Amino acid sequence: MPDGTICAIATPPGRGGIGVIRVSGEAAGDCLTGLAGRLPEPRTASLRTFRDADGEPLDQGLVLWFPGPDSFTGEDVAEFHGHGGPVVMDRLLRRLIELGASLAEPGEFSQRAFLNGRMDLTRAEAIADLIAAGSEAAASAAMRSLEGAFAHRIQDLVEQLTELRVHLESSIDFIDEPLDGLAIDRLADRIEAVGEAVRAAREAARSGQQLQEGARVVIAGAPNAGKSSLMNALLGRDAAIVTELAGTTRDVLDAHLHLDGLPVQVMDTAGLRTGADVVEAEGIRRAHQAMAEADHILLVVDDRNPDEDDGLGAAWPASAAALTRVYNKIDLTHRPPGVGDDGVAVSALTGAGLDGLKSHLRGVLGVRAGDEAVFTARRRHLQALDEAAAAIDEAVSAARAGHGEELVAESLRCAQDSLGQITGAVTTEDLLGRIFSTFCIGK
Amino acid sequence: MDSQSQYDVIVVGGGHAGTEAAHAAARMGAHTLLLTQSLDTIGQMSCNPAIGGIGKGHLVREIDAMGGVMGRAIDRAGIQFRVLNQRKGPAVRATRAQADRNLYRQAVRAILDEQPHLSLFQDTVDDLIVERGTVRGVVTGMGLALRATAVVLTVGTFLGGRIHIGDHNRRGGRAGDAPSIALAERLRALPLRVDRLKTGTPPRIDTASIDYRALTEQPGDSPAPYFSRWSRGDEHPRSVSCHITHTNPVTHEHIRKALHRSPMYSGEIEGVGPRYCPSIEDKVVRFADRDGHQIFLEPEGLDSREVYPNGISTSLPFDTQIAMVRSIDGLAGARITRPGYAIEYDYLDPRDLHPSLQSLHLPGLFLAGQINGTTGYEEAGAQGLLAGINAVAHGREMAPWVPARHEAYLGVLVDDLTTRGTSEPYRMFTSRAEYRLQLREDNADLRLMPVARDYGLIDEGDWQAFCAYRDAIDRERRRLEQTIIRPADLGDDHGATCLGKPLRREQSLMALLRRPEISYDDLAALSAAGEAAADPRVREQVTIAARYEGYLQRQAAQVEKQSRYEDRALPADLDYARVAGLSREVQEKLTHHRPATLGQAARIPGVTPAAVSLLLVHLQRGEQRQSA
Ligand SMILES: Cc1cc2nc3c(=O)[nH]c(=O)nc-3n(C[C@H](O)[C@H](O)[C@H](O)COP(=O)(O)OP(=O)(O)OC[C@H]3O[C@@H](n4cnc5c(N)ncnc54)[C@H](O)[C@@H]3O)c2cc1C
Ligand SMILES: Nc1nc2c(ncn2[C@@H]2O[C@H](COP(=O)(O)OP(=O)(O)OP(=O)(O)O)[C@@H](O)[C@H]2O)c(=O)[nH]1
Ligand SMILES: [Mg+2]
Repeated sequence: MPDGTICAIATPPGRGGIGVIRVSGEAAGDCLTGLAGRLPEPRTASLRTFRDADGEPLDQGLVLWFPGPDSFTGEDVAEFHGHGGPVVMDRLLRRLIELGASLAEPGEFSQRAFLNGRMDLTRAEAIADLIAAGSEAAASAAMRSLEGAFAHRIQDLVEQLTELRVHLESSIDFIDEPLDGLAIDRLADRIEAVGEAVRAAREAARSGQQLQEGARVVIAGAPNAGKSSLMNALLGRDAAIVTELAGTTRDVLDAHLHLDGLPVQVMDTAGLRTGADVVEAEGIRRAHQAMAEADHILLVVDDRNPDEDDGLGAAWPASAAALTRVYNKIDLTHRPPGVGDDGVAVSALTGAGLDGLKSHLRGVLGVRAGDEAVFTARRRHLQALDEAAAAIDEAVSAARAGHGEELVAESLRCAQDSLGQITGAVTTEDLLGRIFSTFCIGK
Repeated sequence: MDSQSQYDVIVVGGGHAGTEAAHAAARMGAHTLLLTQSLDTIGQMSCNPAIGGIGKGHLVREIDAMGGVMGRAIDRAGIQFRVLNQRKGPAVRATRAQADRNLYRQAVRAILDEQPHLSLFQDTVDDLIVERGTVRGVVTGMGLALRATAVVLTVGTFLGGRIHIGDHNRRGGRAGDAPSIALAERLRALPLRVDRLKTGTPPRIDTASIDYRALTEQPGDSPAPYFSRWSRGDEHPRSVSCHITHTNPVTHEHIRKALHRSPMYSGEIEGVGPRYCPSIEDKVVRFADRDGHQIFLEPEGLDSREVYPNGISTSLPFDTQIAMVRSIDGLAGARITRPGYAIEYDYLDPRDLHPSLQSLHLPGLFLAGQINGTTGYEEAGAQGLLAGINAVAHGREMAPWVPARHEAYLGVLVDDLTTRGTSEPYRMFTSRAEYRLQLREDNADLRLMPVARDYGLIDEGDWQAFCAYRDAIDRERRRLEQTIIRPADLGDDHGATCLGKPLRREQSLMALLRRPEISYDDLAALSAAGEAAADPRVREQVTIAARYEGYLQRQAAQVEKQSRYEDRALPADLDYARVAGLSREVQEKLTHHRPATLGQAARIPGVTPAAVSLLLVHLQRGEQRQSA
């Protein structure tokens, strides 16, 4: 009954800790040998180097081999204990997918164990809970991974593909209609263009600009507290404009940062105050929204008057994320830098206390950013983009080689199914609806 | 007919669904009765005189592979045959024919008359005999109570039918036929969901009043293709041409001026019409920027004086119909012989059916054709065939035939209908089939004749001939794979002549055939290629296998993956509220749809993969408990 070979992160990769990836199914042995050399003795750990397809090392760690049926799932199972952070774990997963595994659905390991009779009846409820809760977590993780510009980009790709399919499918099903159909070679050009867009989206996602945005850290506080200065200090470059005027920052500015391999998205926001002009008020609204979606907030306080109204007031979001007070400008107040009971003392100007702030952040974010569900969701999205790109290539070469339209159409359908895994499927009904509203069809 | 007799199967309705159902049941040896309002309208084409087309031709070939009526009838009645999508690949090529209405009716009638175990009787069915929740027979207009193990209802557009022409409307089942009112009321009282749909037809025109000189002629293909694998090749009557003309801004102006008198726009009609078969008034409103729409003038028959203007279906008032028609090129002097009209009718929600087309709520009752929310002769005929087979299987306690989506368009059709239902008259398109590359006209027999054999629909001689054909394909495939051609065998010249360019390295014949620019005939001309297959059908099959190979393999893998849970049955009495972990929303959907299998459940919009996993765990748990 179970279907293919699955892989998943069994324990999330913590900072500096060990992450475990588990593989189950008939290709588990191939996965092991492909990634880490020959099969070890069953049920004993051995130290190996994990390598990519070209033999380049990815990581080092322990492997374990549990041949079925005497394994947790009743199938062949391989386990990899790696040391790398999330980025390395992601590479390992990618390699396993190349080797024939696919990402496990929530609860799927336990489900297989149950279906293979490795778990007794009394556990069925628990497995059901696991699947239900897991799929909810996966859904919200997929949403998180899909917010903002990336979502628009994918939506746009789906739209372009749909349009091509509308033309192609209607030229197949409604032959007697004088459609302003695209000639097949022009079609190939257009498909190629979409393929390039898919690849660009994938590259952007892969290089971490959009998908690997990591945990969201929002810098907030009163005007002139030094938020933008802190942002620049954390990034090590002048990303945000800094002036001595209160109300300099008027929009949300975000940038990516790696804290010891941990991807973090930092956002600088407008200073919070009342009585601002229209533009600044909009900036403040956006700041509140960013805070509402944050994983962590750094509340910057000018250390010269730490008890001044911090501007948060009643607008403080109910579902507030964890918050750290950052006392800034200690070069002026001579407070010692570092982590204290009520916050972290820094100087954005001199850099004092910044290391302390970074390690504090890593500590509070470690678990969140390594969250398995979000991590897996991203991997799924990347994989869907890979598949879509491959299907589109196939469509282009079929069109160029003069194969029939139905073969081009078949590849485009596959491409759209792949993207559909990210955005939700485009059904035949959707497609037909578009055809009938675009063309006057019917006798 | 014998009024005391107990029938195995009673089929109600002598349209396209009914005739296939009755014929299939009788071929299986079941004692079958076909009951219909009028024996003179058996096989009547209610609307356009044509069979086949893209998607539809595929269905006709499937009916034919199962030994059905439609392909044979159209081969004897077709007066213009064409293969559509010739320039595209084999999966989407489809046969279409114009029919002589009278010849078609006669052909259907003759095929039924020859069929043993089948009786025809003319009467109207007013009621169903329902005993302890099971359908046991029918009661006719003249009060006969006829009993049967299974009843197949195929009453088309007749249930509560209402015909509209402008602001005039009246009851009717189709122009010239009475509607089924008593039966419609009876069905509405049963636990079945009923709703309204609508469709329409254009006015007919006297051919003598048409000026063909300025119009584009569209002849048929020559030689004319055949639909049926059982036809010998001498059945076609003489062939005629169609003609093409167009509406124009004047036509559109007439239509716009009369819109307020159209029952569609005045709100008189509530039923939903098909988007892909809009009335001319719909086209003019929805595509206001177009200043012309194409019209095919199709002869209704060899001896008929009537012409069917395909493309101007309408329910506008009759005076507008005249003005509109006469504004069209070639039709200035047109005489209308019958008005166009729209018809509204009841259909039963197909989600209340098992994919075998048996009612979920009334065992013993099978429904097929337009009554299930479809439109088209081919869609109706295909369902009729399936329902006829399964009505017999029901009586014999055999497993029903439920073709999968990758096996037949018929599988796509019943799966779509019974899983998703429909909100407009459902027509087949090839884009509905995700396994389109393997559901071809050319391989309908390879896909379905083994099934026909299992259900006793074809005789031994036909089966043997089929097996010989299938073996010949297998042999030829093996030969092409095993025959290796080396550059040295050919010499550059000969290779270049046959293959377009010299052969560079050794290759199997199959590998050569995969190249789109090389045909089977090119290979056959190679000196080193060995003996080619004689049967052109075998040549065609191996060529397609070569061209589609990679794609077909991938689709087969997808099918394999799906099939792991596809056929896993969901008990009819499954209490979804007790399946641990299912969200309320999914519970409601499943309770509402009552999918027959896990595969069907997965295709219901809104049912997530996680929900399917939960069902799987639930089923397994039940089984383990039973075996414990
Ligand atoms: C006006 C009109 C326009 C159409 N336009 C199109 C179109 O553009 N394209 C298209 O593809 N299809 C069109 N169709 C549909 C096509 O005609 C049908 O899809 C097809 O005929 C359905 O076949 P069927 O066997 O389900 O029903 P029908 O062919 O309608 O046959 C029903 C049979 O049941 C019999 N019957 C009905 N009630 C009873 C009863 N109570 N007792 C006994 N016998 C009964 C009738 O006499 C008839 O023989 C149109 C139909 C109509 C009427
Ligand atoms: N001495 C000292 N000055 C600082 C420090 N951090 C920021 N400043 C100064 O404080 C002023 C405001 O800094 P910004 O970073 O623009 O403050 P902000 O919170 O982003 O202000 P708005 O965008 O207007 O809300 C500038 O003149 C900075 O040079 C610090 O650590 N020490
Ligand atoms: Mg600022």
